[in-house]
Order: sequence, then C-alpha cells, then structure tokens
Amino acid sequence: MKKYFREISVAVALGLLLLVLAIFAPDFFKPTQLLTILTAAAPVLLAACGVALVIMCRQIDISIGSQFALCSIFAGMAAGHGLPMPLVMLLAIFSGALFGAINGAFVAGLGLPSIVVTLATMVTWREALRWWREGEFVRDLPGSFQWFGFSQSTGQIVLLAVAGVVFLILVFALKHVSGGRFVYAVGSDAEAARLAGINPRLVTFCVFVLMGALTGLAALLNAIRFPDVDPKTGTGLELQAIAAAVVGGVAISGGRGKLWGVLAGVLLLACIAPALVFLRAEPQWERAIQGSIILLAVAADGWRSRKGKI
Amino acid sequence: MTNPIANSATFKTTPKWKKAFFSFEALLVVVLVVEIIIFNSTGTNFTTRDNLFEILRFSVVLGLLALVMTPVILTGGIDLSVGSLLGLSAIVFGKLWRDAGMDPWLAAICTLVFGAVAGGLNAVLITRLRLPPLIVTLGSFSLFRGLAEALTRGVDNVTGFPESFLFLGQGYLFGVIPAQLPIFILVAVGVWLLVHQTTFGRSFRAIGFSPEGARYAGIPVERRVAFVYILSGFMAALAALVYVAHYGQAKADAGSGYELLAITAVVLGGTSIFGGIGSVHGTLLGLAVLAVLRRGLTLSDQPAELGSILTGGLLLAVLAGEVLLKKFSSRRARVKTNAQVSQITPTT
Repeated sequence: MKKYFREISVAVALGLLLLVLAIFAPDFFKPTQLLTILTAAAPVLLAACGVALVIMCRQIDISIGSQFALCSIFAGMAAGHGLPMPLVMLLAIFSGALFGAINGAFVAGLGLPSIVVTLATMVTWREALRWWREGEFVRDLPGSFQWFGFSQSTGQIVLLAVAGVVFLILVFALKHVSGGRFVYAVGSDAEAARLAGINPRLVTFCVFVLMGALTGLAALLNAIRFPDVDPKTGTGLELQAIAAAVVGGVAISGGRGKLWGVLAGVLLLACIAPALVFLRAEPQWERAIQGSIILLAVAADGWRSRKGKI
Repeated sequence: MTNPIANSATFKTTPKWKKAFFSFEALLVVVLVVEIIIFNSTGTNFTTRDNLFEILRFSVVLGLLALVMTPVILTGGIDLSVGSLLGLSAIVFGKLWRDAGMDPWLAAICTLVFGAVAGGLNAVLITRLRLPPLIVTLGSFSLFRGLAEALTRGVDNVTGFPESFLFLGQGYLFGVIPAQLPIFILVAVGVWLLVHQTTFGRSFRAIGFSPEGARYAGIPVERRVAFVYILSGFMAALAALVYVAHYGQAKADAGSGYELLAITAVVLGGTSIFGGIGSVHGTLLGLAVLAVLRRGLTLSDQPAELGSILTGGLLLAVLAGEVLLKKFSSRRARVKTNAQVSQITPTT
C-alpha cells in the first residue's frame, strides 16, 4: 500500500474529480463525450509513456512536441501521396525514432545534458517546420486517412485499441523484460548499473529512440482524428507529457515510476479542460491549473521524502 | 615513459597569451567577428551607429534575463519560468496601472516586488522541499503563463501607457542612446561585481561544484540558492517593464520563448550547464553573438525562423565541440601521465 502511495493518490484525485462531475455535470458521462475525451488522451498517453521512460532513465526530453508536429506532417504528406496506411504508420514511427536517435546520440554518445540538447532540438525542429511549411495545413488527404478509413465510432475504438495494446506491451516489458529493468537500473545509479554489466549509454540511447518511436505513433494516432494536419499540432505537448508523468508518480530524480500511474496522470489532466467547460468555469484557467497540479505533485513528493529523512 | 614532474612544469608554464588565445571566450569573439563580416556584406546598413544601438535595444530585455540566469546556472540550477514570469509581470503591471488606477511608477515598483515574490515561490519549493529546480520551474513556467492568460482571458491587451513611461523603452538619451541601455549597463556591472568580485557571489560556484562541500565550508547553501531565484524573479519583472515600455502594450504572451534564448546565451557564453564554471562576461559575449545573428539575418532579409534554427544548431555545436575538445585533450594528457588528469579540471 505504502509502496504505491503516489499511484493511489493520483487515482483517488481522478476519482474525486469524476465524482464531482457526476454530481454537478452528469452530461459529462455520455458515451460519445467520454469517447472523444479518451481518443484525445490516447496519443498523449503514448507520448507520456515515452517521456516517463526517459525520466526514469534520469534524463528529460522537451523536444517531444516538435517531433510530434514533424511526424504528423510527414504522415499526412505520405498519405497524401497515396501510400497505404500501414506504410504511413511505419513511416511516422520510423521518423520519430530517427529524431529520438539524434537526441540520443548527443545525450548518450557525447554525454551532453539532455535538457540543453532537447531544448535546442525543440526549437530547431519547430522552426524548421515553420520555415518549410509556412504554417500551411496538409489538406486533401485520402479517405483512408481519417479514422483509418472507418466510420468515426469504429475509428475511435480502433485508435483506443492500438494505444491500449502498445501501452500494455510497455507495462509488461518494463516489469518482465530485462531491457525494461535496465531502465530502472540506469536511472537509479548509472555507475552501479555499469558495474553490473549493463551499458548505461546504450540503454539511454535506446530509451530516446523508443521515445521518438512512441511519439511518432502518437502523432499518427492524433492526426487521424482530423480531416487535415495542422503544422502547429503538439505545441506544449512536452509539458503535458512531463506533467502527466510527474503527476503519475514518476520520480524526476530517476529510477522510480509506474506506467499505471502515468495513465492515471494523463486521464486526470485530460479531464481538466472538459471539466472546466462542464462546470462552467473559464477554460483559460486550464494552463494555470495544470501548472499548479505539477507543483502540488512535486511538492507532495518533496514533503514526503523530507519527512522520510527525518 | 616521460618524467611526470617535468610534464607538470610545462603544463603550468603555458604562457598566458596562449591560454587566452585558445580560451572559449576567444572562440566566441571569432564567431562574433565572422558574423559581423558576413552581415556587413549581406545586410543593408549593418555597420552603422544606429544599427549598433538598435541591436543593443533589442538585447536589453533578453540580456537582463540572461545576466541573472548566469548565477542561477552557476549554482547548478536552472530557471525555466523567466519568460512566463515576464508575461505575467507585464499583465500585473498593466492591470495595476489601468484597472487599479495606480501611478505608473508606483505600479512599476509593485510589479518588481511581485516578481521577487514569484521568484520566491520557486525558491521556497527548491530550497525548503529540496525539489529539482528543473521540474519546479517547469511547473511555474506553466503556472505563470497560465495565470497571465487567465487574468486577460487570453485576449485582453493593455495599451495607452503615458509618454513618460514609454520613454523608458522608446526614448533616446541625448538623442542617440536608447533609454533602456543605462539600466542594462547598471545591471550588467552589478551582476558582474556580485559574481566575480564578492565572496557572496563566489559561493554560487562553490555550490555549483558541490553543494555538500559548500555546506561544510560554512556557506548557507539554501539561503544563497534562494537568493538567486528571487533575483531571477525580480529581474524578470524589470525586464517586463522594459518590454512593456518598448512595445507599448502588455500582453499575456509577452516573452514566450525568452527562457530558451536566455539559457542559450548563458551556455554559449561558456557557463557549464552543470554549474560551477562560468562567467558574466562570457554571457555578455554569448548574448552579443545571438543578438548580432538575429539582427543581421533580419537586415539580410532572411526569415526569422532561420535565426532560431541557427541558434539551436549553434548551441548544440558549441556544446559538442567543448565535450569533444575536452575528450581529446584529456586523452593526450592521459598518455603523458595519469596523475595529471585531475589537475586539468578547469579552474575558472
């Protein structure tokens, strides 16, 4: 019980929010409404899982929003050129992995601090995209792009299924595959992990690549929700993803965290904006509330570890 | 192989000019000169007095943030919230002046106090709860910008400030010198003296090298760290005032992305992101490289995006170059004698 305190407290907070909504705004629980919120949250979940892995490895990646935008545009253009959807998906994942590899090469290969490297790549990718596309949407996509060519309700379920399967694979791998355990080992103590025969640099590099691939997949799942691709998509996603991971109990000092907690964190943050609308508050408060939730979550962590020390 | 004592002697007697020549600052000066040569041929009216002052005017807001970001990074921390706090302070100032009916100068003083208090929020979370600065300021980055948006409902825009206040950002002293320049010079000299000439400021580097070691040396680590974050908040508010006076309007998105530029200027200037190593004059050089690059591209009719791309690329290239250079030189040193490697750690 104590071991999972953080995960449980997020789940309780989510439960409370849903309870308040159930009393004051029962309309929130209409199936179509819930499906819309969940399909919007699914791409964020994948991105947040990637970021959670990176944070567990005691690194950080804030270029994820820019990677997301570039992958969306790549996917949209590939689909526009008539590539079949499975290939489009592979392309999105591959290009994401490539961006991840670039970050990984700087961080793991050269030992540069990840915050500075990803700060630089964040700006570089975003601005390169703006220069290249000049804010232009990718339009006239084939019918097979939106919702994979299914009807909206089927498409939503397919999207959730894809995200769910990937999420479950990640949960399993992190717990039962040696590679997953390596992430915790390197995040807890890279030197000890090295002495235990793990290559910390390789693990870090792989985590960045995996995060890029997850971002690519997330970008595709997000893009198919709309009839055309917005080049500004994914702005601020890095904050959303990091917030979800931190709120969900992933320790920023590395080595600790559960993907179930990340799921709870994503759902909690995803419910705030619609909850504000349903409770008739002003939606402009969303960002301030997100920021306070991050600060509260880390402050709670700090408070607990401090009490534990004394 | 060779006599280690003889080697250590040659290591110590490297002539000063040679050290200065191969130093990081020298590299920045070269970059700066190359920039000026290129933009002089591609840009219109690049090397004129008016343009010089224009570059300075544009770098004041960013420069104030970068100057105090230097001590923050020297202590091994980071402050991602400065850009957001600039936006929030601008809104607070606009609201105090327009909606609360305050005299602009009284409102300005209140804004400065507000900035220090907001920086104090970061400071309390970082020092009292021992939280990593990165995540604390990421949270307040979101919180401050969110509050600015919420207070203005995302659309409100305060304009119509009195002439006497706008002079601070738009006026010229003696007809040529931008009015905000003296503020910048004052702050630059102040921060330089603080960091390089006082024991108080020297402790920032001690903390950056080893907080535990600094504590054992009798430095009140928490109070010093709290000080730099409060100073950072205060300076963000001051930068907000200059920003508002320059553009004549207070908007919620003021200063977005400035935290990145400020960090870039500091890191370009040779300050180690891990803390402990760095200098204020290095930051000023980094700032000059950035400002000249942006202004030069504008005058050469290049898109603004190219400036950002080059900034990001420059940051990565400089950092990678530094690491590779260090690897290369330490490998050479290891061949000579292993014992000397510890001496080669920079002692700035």
